[in-house]
Amino acid sequence: MILLQVVVSGLLMGAVYALFSSGLTLIWGMMNVVNFAHGDFVMLAMYAAFYAFTLWHLGPAFFVPGAAALLFVLGVVVYLGLVRNVARGPMLAQILGTFGLALVLRYSAFWAFSANFVSLPENLVGGTIDISGIRIEASKLLGGAVALAITLGMHLVLTRTMLGSRVLAVAEDRNAAMLMGIRPDRMQALAWGVGAATTGIAGALIALFFYISPTVGESLSLIAFVVVCLGGFGSVPGALIAGLAIGVIQALSAYLIGAVYQDVLVYSLFLAVLWVRPQGLLGKL
Amino acid sequence: MNINRIATILGLLVIALWPLLVHDVFYQRVGALVLLAAISASAWNLIGGYGGQVSVGHVVYFGAGAYASLIVFTRWGWPPLAGAPIGVAVSLALAALVGTPTFRLRGHYFSMATIAAAELVRILASNWEVTGAAVGLMGPPVPRDIWDFSFTSPVPYHYLFLAVLLALLWLTWLMQRSRMGFYLAAIRGGDRAARSLGVPVLRYKLYALLLSAGFTSLAGTLYAVMVGFVDPESGLGILLSVKMVIIAALGGAGTLFGPLVGAVILVPLEEATNAIFGGGGTGITFIVYGAIILFVARFQPGGMAVIWRSLTARTQASRGKNRAA
Amino acid sequence: MLLEATGIIMQFGAFRAVNGANLTVTEGGITGLIGPNGAGKSTFFNCVAGDLVPTAGTIRFKGQDVTRATPEQHARLGMARTFQVPVTFEDMTVAENVMVGAFLRHGHRHAARRAADEILGFCGLDTLAGSRAGSLGTPGRKRLEIARALATEPQLLLLDEALAGLTPAEVRLAIDLVRKIQRRGITIVIVEHIMEVILSLTGHAVVFHQGQVIAEGPPRQVVDDPGVIAAYLGGSMKRVRTPTP
Repeated sequence: MILLQVVVSGLLMGAVYALFSSGLTLIWGMMNVVNFAHGDFVMLAMYAAFYAFTLWHLGPAFFVPGAAALLFVLGVVVYLGLVRNVARGPMLAQILGTFGLALVLRYSAFWAFSANFVSLPENLVGGTIDISGIRIEASKLLGGAVALAITLGMHLVLTRTMLGSRVLAVAEDRNAAMLMGIRPDRMQALAWGVGAATTGIAGALIALFFYISPTVGESLSLIAFVVVCLGGFGSVPGALIAGLAIGVIQALSAYLIGAVYQDVLVYSLFLAVLWVRPQGLLGKL
Repeated sequence: MNINRIATILGLLVIALWPLLVHDVFYQRVGALVLLAAISASAWNLIGGYGGQVSVGHVVYFGAGAYASLIVFTRWGWPPLAGAPIGVAVSLALAALVGTPTFRLRGHYFSMATIAAAELVRILASNWEVTGAAVGLMGPPVPRDIWDFSFTSPVPYHYLFLAVLLALLWLTWLMQRSRMGFYLAAIRGGDRAARSLGVPVLRYKLYALLLSAGFTSLAGTLYAVMVGFVDPESGLGILLSVKMVIIAALGGAGTLFGPLVGAVILVPLEEATNAIFGGGGTGITFIVYGAIILFVARFQPGGMAVIWRSLTARTQASRGKNRAA
Repeated sequence: MLLEATGIIMQFGAFRAVNGANLTVTEGGITGLIGPNGAGKSTFFNCVAGDLVPTAGTIRFKGQDVTRATPEQHARLGMARTFQVPVTFEDMTVAENVMVGAFLRHGHRHAARRAADEILGFCGLDTLAGSRAGSLGTPGRKRLEIARALATEPQLLLLDEALAGLTPAEVRLAIDLVRKIQRRGITIVIVEHIMEVILSLTGHAVVFHQGQVIAEGPPRQVVDDPGVIAAYLGGSMKRVRTPTP
């Protein structure tokens, strides 16, 4: 029974991983730029949620969409101010660009909020729900459910709407899209905004049931990379499946070999995937 | 006698005579640290600059060298320098593990893999008693003989590091002019075109990485010999990866003296800010480093080398010397 | 038989770009691959060059099976190619670009430099040897691509629309160079749109349409073939008056 509980817990966390990782896969698929600051975007959203509550007593109904909006703006700003310029340059500039951004965000948070962990009160989304013997915290259930819904929604928007097909067209072939009257610059800015918004929602959700610290960005970025590689570059459904898988693997390894080593397993899995099947489950290289 | 040659000779002269020019131990130590940083950054430069493959987890090779040296001391009583070959061997194995699957893919995969590998090793080292877990390892408290290379003055270290740096730069210079140098430049210029000319892209990227990892490991050993202590933070922490990259990039990645120039600028700067603000406890160091990386990436990826070239080109032109475009 | 491609099929998902094409190239000639846009000749070309692995079919070069060989292996075996859009190494000099090719056959810098110098002279690029490749215009870049490929000492040179985008005067210079290369003993396969080039340069023309070869033979004969004309109807085939020699 405990094992099943661990798996369910992992699935719920995995759904949140899937959410922000699908944002990363969208960004990467769009324009071949990897956002090394992705995990730090999540971290910023976590703090946004925390301060929205502690300073203005706003509940999750406010701070979840609020964080999404805030991070959307940040994503667009980062695209316009940085990414657009480095994307066409040498690889060094591309990678150092978002890497430098990650450091600035992470350690500005460190300096502004101090290294101490903080957390939202446990009764914010309170209680534990019992489903046939499996006890799940309501906050985790909410987080997982919302994450899953939004990830699926994103996939549907991308594949079933006019706007979505425009975004995908730019990802597929920028020049051809231009010839069809689609403006790549706008679509890419939108992709960055949406990609960042997913981190906003994810971060605000995680804040409901997890501690918040300035340095979570590093391991969350790595988790996003693993999920995107495992799921397949550019594939949102891939990110969903891989996110859930990673969540479960992480939960199981924490339970079986100890929380200290849970990341070790995920990183080793990452290197293994690169060796064995770099295109992931559903993606192209 | 062109300005580059003059500047190089003058610069190397100052560096060589530095411990004799300043008499304060503090400044002599800074000099040695500049050289050590230059070695690490020049080693990074082999894969990151010349190879065009951006490693952001390079500290793992440094840590392998540092830890290997202090493990052979704490376990078997060997002089720390004797651990150098072991550190190099471990580094080469790690490099092959990270590079082989990722070099046939787009550049981002390699960069991501380097972070994962570095973090993985750091967590393992933090929990293994052979590496001293979170506490770390210490070197010989009192030198037992000359082979311990344990000196009270920074001056011998300065010259030891200078020798290693010159050897590394000489090797880099040879590489640059050889087939390997041309092939790496071709790979940077365009994978597809390079392959059509017969360049074995994967193999040469690996050569560059292995060379880089080996020398970075050596830098780690030298660090352990001088400082006599290593722990997961000082030997495997992300700060070192960042410093290697930023020193090379600021000075000019892919140029011979870029990393040295970067070290000359950044290491004294760090020592000065530490002295004034009392250590990097608040994370301001990282903010500054991150900002520098951001600016270099966004505005001048070529670093100081490009700025130097444009400045000197103007003086050359104004003196009437005409260089073919 | 220098090159033999049989039954080449190239499928991209649901789309079949090449549908059973054959090509035989004997030593010493200049063969032209022509056809309207989208006929599959460029895809076929890339299969032969090693950029793509065909879905089906075999390619034999000098008797060896190279169907799945990598571009590097192609170069080593003696098959070189240029790209439709020149991909010269912008930040290296013209001489350094050619040296990259020369290093395939000469391990040491001095030998590679000497070989490169010879090629530069042959291609008329010696005055530009020290210039940055990025500073060249399109005709210079195309010429540099050819020089670089020649430095790998190939027996077979594949030119991908090497004369597109050039003025008529530049085209004539390029044709001269290609003839020079042939006289040096190198077999050439060229993908081309420009009629003047096909008629005056190639000894054997192969016409592609909808992924298949619909005609082949001496260029003048092929061009008058009713099937070929029908294939081009609706498309554009530039008929430039052939220059008096």
